[in-house]
Amino acid sequence: MLSSADETMERIALVGNPNVGKSVIFGWLTGQYVTVSNYPGTTVEVTQGNSKIGGRRRVIVDTPGIDNLIPMSEDERVTRDILLEERDLTVIQVCDAKNLRRGLMITLQLAEMEKPVVLVLNMADEAKERGISIDSPGLSRLLGVPVLPTVAIHRGGLDGLARHMDEKRIPQIQPVYPPDFDESIAEIEKILPEKQKGKKALALMLLAGDESLRDWLHASLPDPAVQRIEEIGQRLQRQHQEPLGYLINQKRLKTVDQLLAGVFNKEKDRRGTAALALGNLTTHPVAGIPILILVLYLMYKFVGDFGAGVGVDFMQNVVFGKGVNPTTIRAVEYLLPWKPLQDLLVGPYGLVTMGLTYALAIVLPIVGTFFFAFGLLEDSGYLPRLAVMMNRLFKVISLNGKAVLPMVLGLGCDTMATLTTRVLETKKERILVTLLLALGVPCSAQIGVMLGMFSGLPPKATIIWGGVVIGSMIVVGFLAGKLIPGKKADFILEIPPLRIPTLANILFKTLARIEWFLKEAVPLFLLGTLFLFAFEQMGLLKTLQNLAEPIVVQFLGLPAKATESFLLGFLRRDYGAAGLFVMVKSGELDPLQAVVSLVTITLFIPCLANFLMIIKERGLRQALAMAAFIFPFALMVGGGLNYLLHALDVRF
Amino acid sequence: MPVGQKLRGHLLPSLSLFFYGRVEDGSSLEKDMGRRSGRKGGEAMNHAPGGPPPGRGRIGRGWSEPGDKSEWQQREELLELLWTMREKGKDNLDEILQAAEEENAELLLAEMERDGWISIPKGKVAFLEEGERRAEEVIRRHRLAERLLSEVFELEESSMESSACQFEHILSPRVLDSVCAFLGHPPTCPHGKPIPRGPCCARFKREVEPLVRPLSDLKIGEVGRVVFITPKSRSRLERLSALGLIPGSIVRLAQKRPSFVLEIGETTLALEEEVVREIYVKRV
Repeated sequence: MLSSADETMERIALVGNPNVGKSVIFGWLTGQYVTVSNYPGTTVEVTQGNSKIGGRRRVIVDTPGIDNLIPMSEDERVTRDILLEERDLTVIQVCDAKNLRRGLMITLQLAEMEKPVVLVLNMADEAKERGISIDSPGLSRLLGVPVLPTVAIHRGGLDGLARHMDEKRIPQIQPVYPPDFDESIAEIEKILPEKQKGKKALALMLLAGDESLRDWLHASLPDPAVQRIEEIGQRLQRQHQEPLGYLINQKRLKTVDQLLAGVFNKEKDRRGTAALALGNLTTHPVAGIPILILVLYLMYKFVGDFGAGVGVDFMQNVVFGKGVNPTTIRAVEYLLPWKPLQDLLVGPYGLVTMGLTYALAIVLPIVGTFFFAFGLLEDSGYLPRLAVMMNRLFKVISLNGKAVLPMVLGLGCDTMATLTTRVLETKKERILVTLLLALGVPCSAQIGVMLGMFSGLPPKATIIWGGVVIGSMIVVGFLAGKLIPGKKADFILEIPPLRIPTLANILFKTLARIEWFLKEAVPLFLLGTLFLFAFEQMGLLKTLQNLAEPIVVQFLGLPAKATESFLLGFLRRDYGAAGLFVMVKSGELDPLQAVVSLVTITLFIPCLANFLMIIKERGLRQALAMAAFIFPFALMVGGGLNYLLHALDVRF
Repeated sequence: MPVGQKLRGHLLPSLSLFFYGRVEDGSSLEKDMGRRSGRKGGEAMNHAPGGPPPGRGRIGRGWSEPGDKSEWQQREELLELLWTMREKGKDNLDEILQAAEEENAELLLAEMERDGWISIPKGKVAFLEEGERRAEEVIRRHRLAERLLSEVFELEESSMESSACQFEHILSPRVLDSVCAFLGHPPTCPHGKPIPRGPCCARFKREVEPLVRPLSDLKIGEVGRVVFITPKSRSRLERLSALGLIPGSIVRLAQKRPSFVLEIGETTLALEEEVVREIYVKRV
């Protein structure tokens, strides 16, 4: 992981509560942007970058947000492990100025770990708005470390950071624990490896019953020593009824409160009542709903009209239609006279004419606009509020409101959304959301095409489609929620204030996500096209079509030609929808058939890219199990709908 | 480990918190009580009898009891039995003796008769004034104890029974009234049997709300100080404490639907009802 050049470079870790702006500062220090969200857990992988700020080359490590260094979740564990294992690490602790109390809790623990700290009080503007004033020089004196107020998003105060980054001082503040705690701490410290830094912090973690340290312990100490440590912990716990971790937290909070008394002052809240009221309205049980609908509608308009309409038109007809494709076709025909190769590149299933065109001309504009709208949702602080509004609904399917993040993202790209299931705390939730994404959430490219179809059909069709798809998801979600073993996580979510987002930041994020998309998803599109090409060449496509025909014709009541769309639908979800679109346009599908086919294709297995991502995240076995369920289920619902519509003699 | 057993580990300290106001650990009890006088408006469940920490004995009742501790308890058990049998409409001496668990029940009954607590005319047992009063108190204690254990700690039936049996013997009258008020003067025990009214219940109409109650009972906009948290899981407790929710923290209830929304300092949290119900606050 470290190159030999890196080893001599100083390493700095950015540590802090979730939602405080660590990733923004990381971006400023390194020029790189990490895909970030106002959600705890979205910095799921540790990112490193090189920084030249402050005159020296350093390695900066961005860590997941934590509330406590005794880890409660995977993220917190990652951060704790980094701090534990890297001995010569300086910490820039980023703290939300208005939530200084929670930030200082972490500072305290860093002090116990004997790490040098530079404390950044970010979002200083929000604190000021609330009438909060913090005596930074005073705090700096009390702690013995640099304390810098900043407004990172507007680059305010960051020069100060550059200047103070070299001061390496360990915070001078320590909580006072009761004598019996001190005794136990001292005993454990004696057992721990001599050269280990931050023994006190470790002792406290062990007393708190930190299970995640087990492996490290067994690797660093002989068994009898580990045993002894456990005994010390148990003995102390017996003398107290409440969990030791809880008592330790209480003590720390007391120390922090004493510290705050001298430096933190809150006067009149200067925020306009309008701003406050709006924030409250967004989660209001009654008023929140129209706001929710409005937000979703605006998103749909933006992505649908602007992205799918203007964007796709431009890319497809102008850029590719008039530019790239004809040129490429001529070039290929000229340079490579061998027909199969020509077909491979520019034929009907050609890599350029189909694969690349699709990825860049059709999917990219839609996905790009979606990511922009999503970034807007995140940066404004609306996303957690969306989670609050949806929590009740999600509980029906054994999820909690946090699942909103991947589910909404799935409307952009299911593949990316599947990756984002990592923010969910329990495995059960991750499996459930992955399943629902694959089952029923259409990605933006697919929606783009389907919207075109719906505009040509009576509204009844759209309603039926929507109802059946959502209904299926709820039913499947409900049953799966009961069947999949595991606990569900508590719904405890921090709600940040509503903010006016900065355009630059949103663009930055959108570009980062588009970059991810190009690197990860597009190759899979090309791969899918390759498969299609191969199948067609080998005549397999025809064979599969013949096999599938009976089901499609008899069961689903569709013309034989629709089979092709379904097959393509697996490899390229949106392409399948496009094939149906063409058939509707030409009158080969009547409205009833159109509805049935759309429902089926929406519920159908996800596209290849998504499927591969599921394999990557959940493993081959689970992925196959999901496919084995979804495929027949989609057909059943389609067939059932077909029968029902005919039986009820529904007319369009 | 069944939930009941796990939570019983939290039972005593939570109750200590409740009875004495604030307890860090068992040994600092004396210090706490000294400090409390200097504190302004503390966790005022201060009906502390000023006696030794709760243990298996009684807390300063002020009665002079004949016999030793265990005989006393045995008498109380019998009084309880007599009362419950009476509720079922049975007052036959033989039936009572059969149902009694104490080996020397007959002897004890004779002594109680001698002391003027009960009379046994023609093989039927009846309460006299003194006995009735004492029995009523025992029953009240027992059933309130059951209510406390089942309401606050949600112990399952078997754990509750055995705990309530031991527990009832350590509640003094003043503490008992606090428990009654705390629980909102419940009219029945978890099994549905009536709880005899106490002096505090008579004042019910003026004293409308219990002092310490679940956060979910607050009205929107009200502010409370966290008195204790009875979480189902240790990780939940630690998580809440990492976010600043510990006894002593001030919390404002901003919303109840669609989710609970709390404000603690400058942090706004959304939580589900299940979690909020476990946070007990005193309105400020």
